[in-house]
Amino acid sequence: MPERKADPKLLEILVCPLTKGTLSYDAVNQELISERAGLAYPIRDGIPIMLPDEARPLSDDHTPAPFPGHQL
Amino acid sequence: MTVFNRQVVRQHRDRAASNLTEHDFLFREVGTRLLDRLDDVIAKFPVAVDLGCRTGLLAELRDSQGGIESLYGCDLSERMMAHSAMSGAVADEEALPFADAALDLVISNLSLHWVNDLPGCMTQVRRALKPDGLFLATMFGGETLHELRAVLSEAEIAVQGGLSPRVSPFTDIRDAGALLQRAGFALPVVDTETITVSYSDPLKLLHDLRGMGEANAVMERRLTAMRRETMMMAMQLYMEKYAGDDGRVPATFQILTLSGWAPSPTQQQPLKPGQGETSLTKFLANDGD
Repeated sequence: MPERKADPKLLEILVCPLTKGTLSYDAVNQELISERAGLAYPIRDGIPIMLPDEARPLSDDHTPAPFPGHQL
Repeated sequence: MTVFNRQVVRQHRDRAASNLTEHDFLFREVGTRLLDRLDDVIAKFPVAVDLGCRTGLLAELRDSQGGIESLYGCDLSERMMAHSAMSGAVADEEALPFADAALDLVISNLSLHWVNDLPGCMTQVRRALKPDGLFLATMFGGETLHELRAVLSEAEIAVQGGLSPRVSPFTDIRDAGALLQRAGFALPVVDTETITVSYSDPLKLLHDLRGMGEANAVMERRLTAMRRETMMMAMQLYMEKYAGDDGRVPATFQILTLSGWAPSPTQQQPLKPGQGETSLTKFLANDGD
């Protein structure tokens, strides 16, 4: 089965479930990043996993690189 | 107040995902009724979300018409979503990941009864809806599984000399209406219908509930503490008390259907007090005519 891709129209309406703030899409690492919550939500097999307990905490030293054109 | 263990809810749904189609007759029946109601609504819904979509049953049942353009799924269980052909996200109904005023429709089929914070969930749904967006949901009501609840209580008191919640509490019809109002929905409507399922053996009912991912998340971790003896007695009581002439037992499911609209100035509004043109006193005085 081909790997599913996240639906771009869906990504447009998703926000961080904790802060309701905007997310930036990291297409390379397949993550949705909430700067305010300091969390990166994984996208697995095209499905965004919008659960804080499944998200990767962003460490202080790693400020996520800006993704030009991917700011949602 | 936390009644349900959401981790357990998630586990139940994860476990039920692969064989759900063998046990989903109730979801199918109620889902069809929900979509019928949606067909009666003359409105277009460019962006819709199915909250607690499981493996995407509503997307499968809906025919191409019905005013929905894009229907996204949303479930707490990643395995449910993975088994679904829908595009969507894994999310918790208690912390929705949708932007304000992003959706035209939110539908939910027999899923919200596992949510601890229903007022919070509904408020988030209302905020995610555009003005004049529709929320249409079915939920299990308070009469659901009353037979099972009664016999489990009776057996547990008799065998173990105590009582613990074995069947999850469900929302009462009056509470459901109040919840919609409290969440800020306009034109809230709640109605109820009863579906009675007939089983040859009450154990088959328990098997189905587990297969539906509906084993009780209140009781789950204490299920092991329920003695085999208690369960046997409960099943025996179920047969004795409820079996019909054909030897089959009923299981009652009360279905609440809730609908409400995100407020919009274009909706019908109540008049401000003092704008009446006919005096009630005059009207009552003429009553004898």
